[in-house]
Amino acid sequence: MNDNDTILLDHGAGGKVSHAMFSELILPLFDNGLLAKQDDGAVFEVPAGRMAFSTDSYTVDPIFFPGGDIGELAVNGTVNDVAMCGAAPLYISVGLIIEEGMKVFDLKRILQSMAGAAKKAGVRIVTGDTKVVPRGKVDKIFINTSGIGLLPVGVNVSGNGARPGDKVIVSGTIADHGVTILSEREGLKFDSDVKSDSAPLNHMVKAVLESGHPVHVLRDPTRGGLGTTLNEIAVQSTVGIRLFENRLPVRGPVRGICELLGFDPLYLANEGKLIAIVPGTNANKVLDIIRQDEFGKDAVIIGEVTDQDPGRVVLETLIGGTRIVDMLTGEQLPRIC
Amino acid sequence: MSLTYNQEFKDPKISKALVARIREKSTRPLRLMEVCGTHTMAIFRYGIRSVLPDTITLLSGPGCPVCVTAQKDIDAYVMLARRSDVILTTFGDLMKVPGSGASLAAEKAKGADVRMVYSIFDALAIAKENPNREVVFCAVGFETTTPTIAGAVLTAKAQGVDNFSIYSANKLTPPALAALMETDGVEIDGFILPGHVSVITGLDAFAPTFEKYRIPSVVTGFEPVDILKAVLKLVEQNESNAPRLVNAYTRAVADAGNPKARVIMGQVFEKADALWRGIGTIPNSGMVLRESFYKFDAARKFDLSIPDTREPTGCDCGRILMGLKRPDQCRLYKKACTPMHPVGPCMVSSEGACAAFYKYSR
Ligand code: SF4
Repeated sequence: MNDNDTILLDHGAGGKVSHAMFSELILPLFDNGLLAKQDDGAVFEVPAGRMAFSTDSYTVDPIFFPGGDIGELAVNGTVNDVAMCGAAPLYISVGLIIEEGMKVFDLKRILQSMAGAAKKAGVRIVTGDTKVVPRGKVDKIFINTSGIGLLPVGVNVSGNGARPGDKVIVSGTIADHGVTILSEREGLKFDSDVKSDSAPLNHMVKAVLESGHPVHVLRDPTRGGLGTTLNEIAVQSTVGIRLFENRLPVRGPVRGICELLGFDPLYLANEGKLIAIVPGTNANKVLDIIRQDEFGKDAVIIGEVTDQDPGRVVLETLIGGTRIVDMLTGEQLPRIC
Repeated sequence: MSLTYNQEFKDPKISKALVARIREKSTRPLRLMEVCGTHTMAIFRYGIRSVLPDTITLLSGPGCPVCVTAQKDIDAYVMLARRSDVILTTFGDLMKVPGSGASLAAEKAKGADVRMVYSIFDALAIAKENPNREVVFCAVGFETTTPTIAGAVLTAKAQGVDNFSIYSANKLTPPALAALMETDGVEIDGFILPGHVSVITGLDAFAPTFEKYRIPSVVTGFEPVDILKAVLKLVEQNESNAPRLVNAYTRAVADAGNPKARVIMGQVFEKADALWRGIGTIPNSGMVLRESFYKFDAARKFDLSIPDTREPTGCDCGRILMGLKRPDQCRLYKKACTPMHPVGPCMVSSEGACAAFYKYSR
C-alpha cells in the first residue's frame, strides 16, 4: 500500500483488499507470532492464578497532537488500566474503525505508534479487527483496545482499599494531556511547549509492587482528572481525602492556560499519571521507587486519607483556607471573560 | 499569547498576614459584595470565605455575564441556531444556559450548526470561510469583551464581510450597581469592584455611583492577595466611617482606564435600556449597535420576534445576584437545579454564584 493512497470501503470488506492491508500494513508493524497465525483469535498459555481484563475505546479529536496520537493513547490507556488492577499486562487486542477516505500515510503513523507503544510497554498485540465505514459515520478513526494481564500472588489493589492514615501520591504533573488536546482542538495558539503525557505505567507499577511495600489503591486519573478520580476513591473506600494545593504539581504553562480559560487543572485529563494510595509509614519509600521510573520523576505526595467527611475530597488552599473538590459535572466549558 | 503566573499574589505568607489584619480590624458585621463572577470563582477556589472572620459576609453580585443574560436573549440565540442558513458562534459558557425551553447545547445535539469560539475574530474567520451562510455571534459580556466585539464589527465593515452579524446582549457594570442600591432590602457595606472591567472603564466610571451612595469601593485583581487586600481596605473604611473609591489593582488599572478601547466601543455601540435576568430592565445599561452598523445586527437582519418569557418558577437567581439570598436558600438548589440540570443561569456558568456554591461548599 502506498502512503498517498486513501482508505476505501473495500479495505474493510474482508476480501483481497482487506487482506492486503492486513498483511502489508498491519502485520509487519505489530510483528509477532501469535498475530501472524491469522486465526480468529489468539491462543496462548497462562499460568494458574488471577488475571485482569480491561477494555476501552478511543475517540480523540484531534487524532495527532503534541506528545502523541490516538494510537499511542489506545495502547497506553489499556496497558495502564490493566496495570492499575495491579496486573502485568501481556496481550492486547485492537479494533480499528476507520472512516473511508483516510490517508494510508496517517493510518500508518497511527499503527506505527501503536507498535512503538506496545514495545515500550512490553505487551503484544495478538488479535484485532478492522472495519471501514462510509465517510461521516465516524470521525477519522476510532480505536478499541482490550488487554489481559496477570496478577502477582498476594497483590490486592482496589478503589475501596484506602484507609485513614494513608498518603496519596501522584506520579507527576497533572492536566498536561487535557490542556494539550484543548489547545489543539480549539486552535488556541499558546507560545508554550505543553504536550500530552501519554505513557505506559506498567513498569512503574511493577517496580512498586515488587518492592513488597503494601499498596492500597492504584488508579490512573484520565477523563475527569485527579479531582474526579479521588472522589470516586473517597466514595468507594468511605474515607475523606485531604489535598494540599501547594503540593499539587502543575506545570507553569498549564496553569497559565487554565487560568486564562477558567479551567481547573484538577479536572483535566491525564494519560500517563497514576495515583497510588499507600500506608503513611511506607509512603516515602514508594515515592522513591516511583521517582526512579522515567515517567515518575516529578512524583509527589499530595495529600492524605482521613476519617473525616467520608466520601469527600477537601483541598487545603494556598492561603490556608479549605474547599470541597467535587466530582466534575459535565464538560468544563471555557469562560467568557 | 504570553502567559504569566502571578506567584507573588498567591503568596501564602502575605495572605495569612492579611487575614490576621482583617481579623484584628473587623469589629462589626459587614456585607461585602464582589460584583464580578471571576472574583466569585476565585473566592471559592481559594477558600477565602473559610479564612475570613464571621463578621464578614461575602455576597456575589450581578457580574457574571452569562448569569445576567435575559432568557429572552437566549431564546433569540436558540431561534437563530434553528435556522439552516445560520452558523451560530458563541463563547463556551453560554452553551448550556437554558432559555425558556432549549439551550444552545441541546440545539447543537439536534443538529444545529452552533460553534464554540474563543474570540469573536474566530467567528469572523468562519464567516469568511462560509460566504453562503450567515455567521451570527452571540455577543454577551461587560465592558471587558465589548471593545473587542466592536473591533470585530469595524473589521467586518472595513473588509466588507456582509454575512457576519452579532446579536448584542452586552451590558455595562456601573448602572447595575446603581440599580442595586435603589432596590429595597439590598444592604451592602462595600463593593469589591471588577478588575477586568476597570481595565477598560477605569476608576472614573464608578465615581458617580460612589459619589451618590458613598459605599466603600475597591477595584482589585483576582489573586487571593488581591482579594484579601480589598477586603481589608473595605473593613478599614467601614470601621473608620471613611468611604472611598480605591484602585488596589494599579498593576493593571489606570484611573482613566483604556480610552482607546472606549472610543472604539462608542464608535460602534450606543447605550440602551437592557433586560437583566432576574433583575429586570435597567436604564442605559445595555449596548446596542449604532444605526451605521445596522447591517451587522442579527436582530434586524432576521427580524426576530421573540415572545416575552417567564422566569422558571422557583429560581431565585435575581435575588441571589442582588445579595438578598444565598444559593442554598433557593428551594431548587441541589434538588431540581444542579450543574447537570441547571434551572437558572447562576448554576450554568462556572462563574455563577450557585455553581460555585455547589462545587465548592458542602
Ligand atoms: S439554585 Fe438554580 S434555580 Fe436556584 S437561584 Fe440558583 S440557579 Fe436559580
